[in-house]
Amino acid sequence: MKPRTKITSIVVAATAVVMALAGCSTAGGTAGANGAGGAVTHVAGAPSWCGTKKISFALLDGFGGNSWRLVTTASGKAEAEKCPSVTKFSYADGQGSTAKASSDIKGLVSTGVSAMVVFPDAGQAVLPALTAAYKAGVVTVPYRVFPGGKAGVNYDKWIGDDFANDGNNWAAWIKKNVPTGGNILFLGGPAGNSQSTAEYDALKSNLGSDYKFIGETPFQPTNWDPTLTQTLLTADIAKYSKIDVIVSDFGPTLVSSLPLFQKSGRSIPALATSDGNSLSCFWEDNHAANPDFKLMTVATGNDNVRLAVDYAIAKASGGKIPTADSFKGPIFEDSVSQAPHGVQCDKSLPGDVYLSAQIPGTTQSALGK
Amino acid sequence: MADAMTRDGTSLKSARFSVSKGLITIGSATVLLFVVSGVLAPSSISPTSLSGMLPIACVLAVVGLGQMLVVQQGGIDLSVPGMMSLTVVIITHNPDGDNSKLVPAILLAVMFAIIAGIANGLMIGGLRLNPIIATLGTNALLYGADLAISGGRPRITTTLLQSVTGGQTLGIPNAVFFAVGALIIVTVVVKKTVAGRRFEAIGASPEAARAVGLRVRLHQTSAYVWAQLLYCLAGVLIGGITAQPSAFEGDVFLLPSVAVVVLGGTSLLGGRGFPLATLIAAVFLQQLTQFVITLGVSTAIQTLVQAAALAVGVSLYTVNWAAIFARFRVRSRPVVSSA
Repeated sequence: MKPRTKITSIVVAATAVVMALAGCSTAGGTAGANGAGGAVTHVAGAPSWCGTKKISFALLDGFGGNSWRLVTTASGKAEAEKCPSVTKFSYADGQGSTAKASSDIKGLVSTGVSAMVVFPDAGQAVLPALTAAYKAGVVTVPYRVFPGGKAGVNYDKWIGDDFANDGNNWAAWIKKNVPTGGNILFLGGPAGNSQSTAEYDALKSNLGSDYKFIGETPFQPTNWDPTLTQTLLTADIAKYSKIDVIVSDFGPTLVSSLPLFQKSGRSIPALATSDGNSLSCFWEDNHAANPDFKLMTVATGNDNVRLAVDYAIAKASGGKIPTADSFKGPIFEDSVSQAPHGVQCDKSLPGDVYLSAQIPGTTQSALGK
Repeated sequence: MADAMTRDGTSLKSARFSVSKGLITIGSATVLLFVVSGVLAPSSISPTSLSGMLPIACVLAVVGLGQMLVVQQGGIDLSVPGMMSLTVVIITHNPDGDNSKLVPAILLAVMFAIIAGIANGLMIGGLRLNPIIATLGTNALLYGADLAISGGRPRITTTLLQSVTGGQTLGIPNAVFFAVGALIIVTVVVKKTVAGRRFEAIGASPEAARAVGLRVRLHQTSAYVWAQLLYCLAGVLIGGITAQPSAFEGDVFLLPSVAVVVLGGTSLLGGRGFPLATLIAAVFLQQLTQFVITLGVSTAIQTLVQAAALAVGVSLYTVNWAAIFARFRVRSRPVVSSA
């Protein structure tokens, strides 16, 4: 062997490790103060969940790098601003790194926040950090993704989204609009995530044996990433000559992939998914040329965070604790029945606003500018 | 032998052409992969599948060419994700759907690329910092700019960019033309110009190059600048291909960018670069992904297959199999006789 081999092997190995770590590179968490009135001693006019005790409040994301999260963060902030007892608002973004998400939680605990609402993207992996925060006396409310553990032991309460509700809504619509059964392709988030799994279980139990799930089950893991979605959908279109319904729990990531159907001389199939302005406008531009392209969306759930914020602030500031323990996303658009709404495309707004959210589209479009 | 353990590779030579071992290896592996794909999963080589696979393979090829230039100088560039993601953010956020603002936005991204490249180059070529640490730092700075500009939110790609980089001409994805263009430019500049020949010579042996009076630092710095410009081009491409990109679009390209350079036969210690083999390696890697997805195996198996292919590919270059077999034979004999 050549004399350099050993050193080189070490260098190569070290490079591999560093490259793996580079995926977790950080660019600094942000923590912006947002004074919401300092001298208020009572909460007349504020919602019932807003107690009188002054608190500082933090919102943490596991991955904040898309417009959905930006709207969600703005929703959480707007909700916290309704309560004058919140004297300081901080935000941190884990940028998809479990290590950073955990250190963000610990860092904010050490700065003395009274309550935190956490999007635990990494699931169980951030449970130790959540538990540490809870044990340090911080009101800790994970939401949407289930982090494992137990309320009262590892955190105060988990405010889920009732994803089975979404699955049930999709299934009912599929049965009504593709009544004779057919092939269903379900595109979900990262492999094993609780949201897509719950949705699949609900779909499966509602749809009888006439409906066949094609592709990987319970779902094809897209990581909600447009590049990977495109790769997967390309393979699916090539492989399956008959796709009757596509179900996806993040509809807008499909927009760049759907034209592949037309390129291969097929109609875009029926689509049951979550809403987004780009998707709605894509439907408006393309449904005439694609006779099978029916669209139904459930609200994408930006307002899930509001319930979690209400709960955390109520518990920390001594307000009235909300009784609901999960968010139920309503049906938003249905191109067939037009109920509760027809497809809502607003071309004057950017594609990445979510018209189902409480925050108006115009306000959303000004975010991040 | 062109491999990751020696500074330079020899090649099979005929009168006019020289074909590197890397090109033969990756070329035949790619042909084999397409044959296997055609037999086991015919739909993975259907026109639909190729029209979805090729654009992403081309983006990977462009990133790989950039990484190759850096690797040729014995360096490594971990700022790939930062520059790609920043480019995506600038070209989607600044125009905000307005086609007329697209060109200024691309020029702004190019400016960032040049600045980041010079910063990397000065730290590594000038101050002799370790390339892993220096480019990791630059990556963090680029992500800082990414988040400062976008708040973590790229916009929808403009329709112009979608049609230029995401569209097709004569049934061929436009990204292919960009990748082939980048390949031709890199090949001609590195292989056919005086500066390019010096560039390779410096990569092969900086000490010898310095001894004969070549401007080593300048060439090493320039590698990082050219690389950043290629990452910037890759960012523009992926921005058009995925209509609604995320703010971290470059992350998934870092490891494959190094993988395609190694699979293409360029030594991690520097020296000769193999642009065509790097481009073919990118097609190989992406087709492999497409193939295992089409096979319908679980995500866990998909990852294992890709990792195994990479391990086999790299071991073809780095492990001296003849020596291992020879040693094995010598050792096994006394064991047999003593038993």
